[in-house]
Amino acid sequence: MKKKTIAIMMTAAMVMAMAAGCGSKESSASDGDNKEASYKIGIQQFAEHGSLDNCREGFLEGLEEEGIKEGDNLKVEVKNAMADTATNAQIADSFVSDNMDLICAIATPSAQSAYNAAMDKDIPVVYTAVTDPVAAELADKDGNPVGNVTGTSDTLPVEEQLKMIREMMPDAKTIGILYTTSEANSVSAIATYESLVDKYGFTLETKGISQTSEIALATDDLLTKVDCITNLTDNTVVASLPTILEKANEKSIPVFGSEIEQVKIGCLAAEGIDYIQLGKQTGKIAAQILKGEKKASEIPYEIISEPGFYVNTKVAENLGIEVPSDLADSAVESFDTISE
Amino acid sequence: MLELKHIHKYYNPGTVNEMCLFQDFNLTIEDGEFVSVVGSNGSGKTSMLNIICGSIPAEGGQICIGGKDISKEKEYQRNRRIGRVYQNPAVGTCPSMTILENMSLADNKGKSYGFGRGTNKARIDYYREQLSQLGLGLEDKMDVKVGVLSGGQRQAMALLMSTMTPIEFLILDEHTAALDPKTAELIMQLTDKIVKEKKLTTIMVTHNLRYAMEYGNRLLMMHQGEAILDKKGEEKYSMSVDDVLKLFNEISIECGN
Amino acid sequence: MDFVISILEQGLIYGILALGVYITYKILDFPDLTVDGSFPLGGAITAYFLTGGMNPYLTLLLAFAAGAVAGICTGLIHVKCRVRDLLSGIIMMTALWTINLYVAGTANVPLFSQQTIFKNDTLSNMIPEGIQAYTTLIIVIVLVVISKILLDLYLETKSGYLLRAVGDNPTLVTSLAKDQGNVKIVGLAIANGLVSLAGSVFCQEERVFEISMGTGAIVIGLASVIIGTSLFKKLTLLKATSAVLIGSVVYKACVAIALRNFEPQAMKLITAVLFLAILVLGMERRKKVKTDAGA
Repeated sequence: MKKKTIAIMMTAAMVMAMAAGCGSKESSASDGDNKEASYKIGIQQFAEHGSLDNCREGFLEGLEEEGIKEGDNLKVEVKNAMADTATNAQIADSFVSDNMDLICAIATPSAQSAYNAAMDKDIPVVYTAVTDPVAAELADKDGNPVGNVTGTSDTLPVEEQLKMIREMMPDAKTIGILYTTSEANSVSAIATYESLVDKYGFTLETKGISQTSEIALATDDLLTKVDCITNLTDNTVVASLPTILEKANEKSIPVFGSEIEQVKIGCLAAEGIDYIQLGKQTGKIAAQILKGEKKASEIPYEIISEPGFYVNTKVAENLGIEVPSDLADSAVESFDTISE
Repeated sequence: MLELKHIHKYYNPGTVNEMCLFQDFNLTIEDGEFVSVVGSNGSGKTSMLNIICGSIPAEGGQICIGGKDISKEKEYQRNRRIGRVYQNPAVGTCPSMTILENMSLADNKGKSYGFGRGTNKARIDYYREQLSQLGLGLEDKMDVKVGVLSGGQRQAMALLMSTMTPIEFLILDEHTAALDPKTAELIMQLTDKIVKEKKLTTIMVTHNLRYAMEYGNRLLMMHQGEAILDKKGEEKYSMSVDDVLKLFNEISIECGN
Repeated sequence: MDFVISILEQGLIYGILALGVYITYKILDFPDLTVDGSFPLGGAITAYFLTGGMNPYLTLLLAFAAGAVAGICTGLIHVKCRVRDLLSGIIMMTALWTINLYVAGTANVPLFSQQTIFKNDTLSNMIPEGIQAYTTLIIVIVLVVISKILLDLYLETKSGYLLRAVGDNPTLVTSLAKDQGNVKIVGLAIANGLVSLAGSVFCQEERVFEISMGTGAIVIGLASVIIGTSLFKKLTLLKATSAVLIGSVVYKACVAIALRNFEPQAMKLITAVLFLAILVLGMERRKKVKTDAGA
């Protein structure tokens, strides 16, 4: 009997919480209704992740620069699927049934799911942080949209990265990469690396893992075989970067990043994408669509043409590596501390 | 004919708790015999049944039915010729299935359980007739789940189910022990009726000396893995409950009970 | 309306999975974690054959067959190698993760350009303009009804009786001169076949295969079974299989409502609380032979 009481209490608490949630949502809805010519968009993010968060912030900044500001003439609903496929599908469905003016999808699974749900309703989908829109069947071979869907891609600047590593470490022979075998983006990035390492005189050593718990052992093993490590945008690996950095530092092996956030927390350097920038670019595409200037199906997907160079001088100092001065001068941003 | 030849059985072999139960145990049961087995706890009655049925392995010896060695057969294979009723009435039936479904299941024993309809409608009247013989009113509750029946009702069903198809041996493992005296009496009478009707070779383990004397044509008393008393036919009938009780007390005192 | 339709679609697709979980959890009393692997297995098989240009309806059968094989493997590990039920499932689930990757070729296979059971040339000619919006729901309902009826019919066969008996009272199955192990394997095969079928349908509805799609599938299945059987156990007219399907829709509706009002981060906790509440409220003391045997 006691158990039942507890169960009833918990259920009641949940229902109340839900009701409270409903209430607060209604009030915010009425706020939005006061403005004229307002837009309603849904942002569907696949996972919680530094670069994806930056994409989202950048996206809203991009819209704001085009005069579409959250709270003024824009109502935004952000849903994060927390890397759960079933939730992901339901988020897409709920955005479609709410008749959003546009869905912004961050990362490949979200983009696919949003496009699939919105297809029949003709709700435009703008994606970002999709590494290979062609492989994801969101664009055809020429880069044109397959439907009312477009966006930006975060293809890794592999060639620039290799060139930069060569300049920083003229004697290095072997580059190591840790990746998750279940992440399609990582697998395709590895293929790109394999085709390009020869050109810069490196050999490639890769180590595939299937889950976080394998990272420590895989890193130990990899570190015995390589002169440096470079990162992809692999979600699992990036999330465990502190472990990898600690082990690499013990052996004084440099770790190169793939974007700004990684350099901040202790990677030596990166030729990377600024995800805020990528998000902004995406926001501008979305603004064009919302204002009716162009249809999503008419806009080919975009990539960031010029990656930026990021360096952490503190890490370089610790490792005793001298950053070539012309490279140092070209840095978009240079950090002299390692943030935790 | 069932033969147990040179059976050896150890419990916990290879450990300090090793205990030898049967050492060169031999027993022959002729067709048509109804053997009542009595004995104190730990005397090896139930172990003997388990070895015959293959529920537990024997370390040595042979079990033959009709001259054919079945020692290598698995429990479920031996059950083709053996019907068994357990002490716990719940073990003989399926609680979440209806009486009709339970009867149908039992009726199909020995045949293949394929994709044919589970219940043969043409047999329902037969099941009803069989159930009505129990005199428990079960024939009117065909669609009731067996889980709601009483222990006695379930045991009656279990008895019916295990003897429904042609079997060579009926094994009764203290099948009245968990029932109240009145129900136990009823089940015992029912057992006797079925055994006589179907001319089943039967082994019944019981703690009830009166039942052991009253029913069956052979009496076996087990003690420490040996049959210390084995009386057949007239010899058995000439013994009284008191004789058996006296013997029983003697062995019990030996054990310090 | 759209909201309701999408809940029905999702709920019924996962309903097929729940039917599978119902067999293992309720009938066999076997906590089968293979589900987390056999659900994406159906997806992987579908992705492989659809990109190869196979008839999408045929992939459903192949997905069922593949799932059945996975179930048989779990059964063999449990019965023949004498590994505990929970562990057998975990072993198979782990193995399937790699197998799924091999079958699909990569972790993410989009199927936008393929013909699926929901969108193909024959279908678009057949379905009248007016009900196009309901095509997906109609097809899902047809598939669910077929699966449910076939399962109901199976459970009324002799083989089905034996399956029900083995979870209830394994000793009786042995008494009936049948090997309990084989019966369990059959049950696991059917259950995982259904789960894999659900994976195939989900994958075709979402038009993408994603390796992580199986994560948490068992929780969804269990929740649906428990919601269904606890909420509707008083209604004797309703078959357990129907109750399970309704349970799945109710579960998806709860998730959808929760998603609207909470951050998705909180979803797992909400699911857990909901799950616990239903479990405790619908607590059903399973009358098991093992437990009341005592001696």
